[in-house]
Amino acid sequence: MIIRHILPAAVLILLIMGGCKNQGDHSSNGGHIVMQLKHTIDNQDIDFDELIYTNQAGNQYMVTEIQWFLSDLTLHRSKGESIKITGNSGCFYVDTDLQGSLIIAPAEIIPAGTYTGISFTFGINEQKNISGLFVNPPESFMFWPEYLGGGYHYMKLNGKWINPEGQTEPFNFHLGIGQEYAEDTGKAAVQQFGESRQYDHCEGYQPPQKLNTVAGFIQNYFSVEFNDLNFTITDGSTQSFELEMKVDNWFKSPHVYDHNQWGGSIMQQQEAMQQGCENGRNVFVIRPLQ
Amino acid sequence: MSFLILYKYYFWISCVIILLNMSACKNKAEPPVHQPTAYELTIPFGFPTILNIPDDNPFTVEGIRLGRYLFYDGRLSGRTHPDSLMSCSSCHIQANNFEAGIDHPVFAGGFVHGLNGQQTHHVVLPLVNLVWNRSGYGWNGFLYPQNDKPDYRNLEDFVRLAVIAEDEMAGDTTRVKELFQEIEGYPELFFNAFGSNTITFLNIQRAIAQFIRTFVSANSRFDSFLRGELQLTQSELNGYVLFTTEEGADCFHCHGGGGNPLFTTHLFYNNGKDTLFSDPFDRFAVTGDPMHKGAYKAPTLRNVALSGPYMHDGRFATLDDVINYYSHDVKLSPQIDPLMHHVLKGGVQLTPQEKADLKAFILSLQDNEFLNNPEFSHPGKMPDE
Repeated sequence: MIIRHILPAAVLILLIMGGCKNQGDHSSNGGHIVMQLKHTIDNQDIDFDELIYTNQAGNQYMVTEIQWFLSDLTLHRSKGESIKITGNSGCFYVDTDLQGSLIIAPAEIIPAGTYTGISFTFGINEQKNISGLFVNPPESFMFWPEYLGGGYHYMKLNGKWINPEGQTEPFNFHLGIGQEYAEDTGKAAVQQFGESRQYDHCEGYQPPQKLNTVAGFIQNYFSVEFNDLNFTITDGSTQSFELEMKVDNWFKSPHVYDHNQWGGSIMQQQEAMQQGCENGRNVFVIRPLQ
Repeated sequence: MSFLILYKYYFWISCVIILLNMSACKNKAEPPVHQPTAYELTIPFGFPTILNIPDDNPFTVEGIRLGRYLFYDGRLSGRTHPDSLMSCSSCHIQANNFEAGIDHPVFAGGFVHGLNGQQTHHVVLPLVNLVWNRSGYGWNGFLYPQNDKPDYRNLEDFVRLAVIAEDEMAGDTTRVKELFQEIEGYPELFFNAFGSNTITFLNIQRAIAQFIRTFVSANSRFDSFLRGELQLTQSELNGYVLFTTEEGADCFHCHGGGGNPLFTTHLFYNNGKDTLFSDPFDRFAVTGDPMHKGAYKAPTLRNVALSGPYMHDGRFATLDDVINYYSHDVKLSPQIDPLMHHVLKGGVQLTPQEKADLKAFILSLQDNEFLNNPEFSHPGKMPDE
């Protein structure tokens, strides 16, 4: 009687209890965060390919697409403790043409507790921004040429503006590693471009007449910090945020960025990229969602 | 009472149980009826690890072997008369980067036409590294994985369309499968690949697609350079830097480089060839977005010296023509891609020396091992020979 009826029942009850316990363990580790990406101009969702916007410099412009990297996503607690998201190489690719990329949902479990801030890197820092980090598209399509510093674009923001001649001219507001040029600085040409074999061709390279000699590189990535947040992660919960890129702010403050001054391409114009990145400190807004 | 009945028929019940057991044992002892050999593609240095291989058509050694026969068999047209034979290889010639080639003996200037003489809408695209294409096939990408039409999604569908298209084989899928069913050797090859002697057109599509997906070009001089095995010439190096700089030739955003060794994004761009657009088969035909008028796929530049004529309509015969075009003749239109930011100067304004250097680099993308790889060549004898 005991063997035939009571023992199987006991095993079944234990299995069920075990299952419940496992679920409880899982959630007791903490919760998750999700970030919904939004790109706006003048506080409105962007009408892509519509020549309807005017920037601070008075350029009438449109945006075709935005592709960029967010990395080093970190949650901060009051006593200086921080939780860094490390999955996916710590880098998240965002593309206005790829709906799936507009939601960042790290798999990592965030310890339960109260948090006071979030920060991330716009672009990728020099430790990670090395050629070969990504081999699969679309991330690999963001590669930044070795001669210009290697690694990956921080951002491609493509569009068109109306130039003083009234022509609709394309612009590529591309941000990434900048260069110092020997002709400008008097410095010697770069002899050691990097560890990757992909840089080999650059060493001792004599540029043709259109190109200047690279004498050094400048990391233009920057940190975006939101220190006035107050949110709580509870067991099994998901805390959502809306992260907004105010695209018009790339061209607004502290530098009034004028497409007529910088033209259609800036990957080899460090001053333009520097202005863009300094403006970038005012580009992002984050809001906790219920 | 029931127990007594069971006891009465004990002998017969035992016999049935024994027979059932024997039958079960016999089934277990039989070898599997169809066991194709999985084929694993080697990922070259720096290449993507994510492949476009449909779940319902995995690589197998037997499937690839069959696909190779079919790729080169002129009876794929569904006909047997010598004047009516046409295969994939009629237009996709290995020595010409699996394109027709500007020196094609039948298709003058590389402009191909079908069995009924009708010219194709666009010139041939190369069959190179397509296992990494996840963005759509054809100059306008009309075959793509998310297509609502389930038979317009992948390379398999391109095989079917090539067989039935009026400007290609102008064939009939039923006639084709019935013809191959009667050819000695093929039913066995189909059994080995797909587990059935009965030939279906779907399996014809699958086998050819498998074979084409093995066409990997990854051993050019430039690949050796990336692997650190050789140094390029000074002219090639100059060309590489021009290729990958905005103030140089500015090719890399669409055509890749060291960080994208496919030398294409497989995406679609209006590159400023025209100002008016009337082609009913441009990217706009697929997306319905007016900004996509006049946009076409950026093809790979691997082995591109053999890929003429150039552009979707074959308007340029030589690589020099193409370089001159991007240097001086790009045209502004509302639809031009923003990446063509040199357009107001007419192009990237290369000097003669820079053009020569750029060409030298592009020629370093030629992969002679690929162009002569015996695994991709005609199998020699067909199954019935």
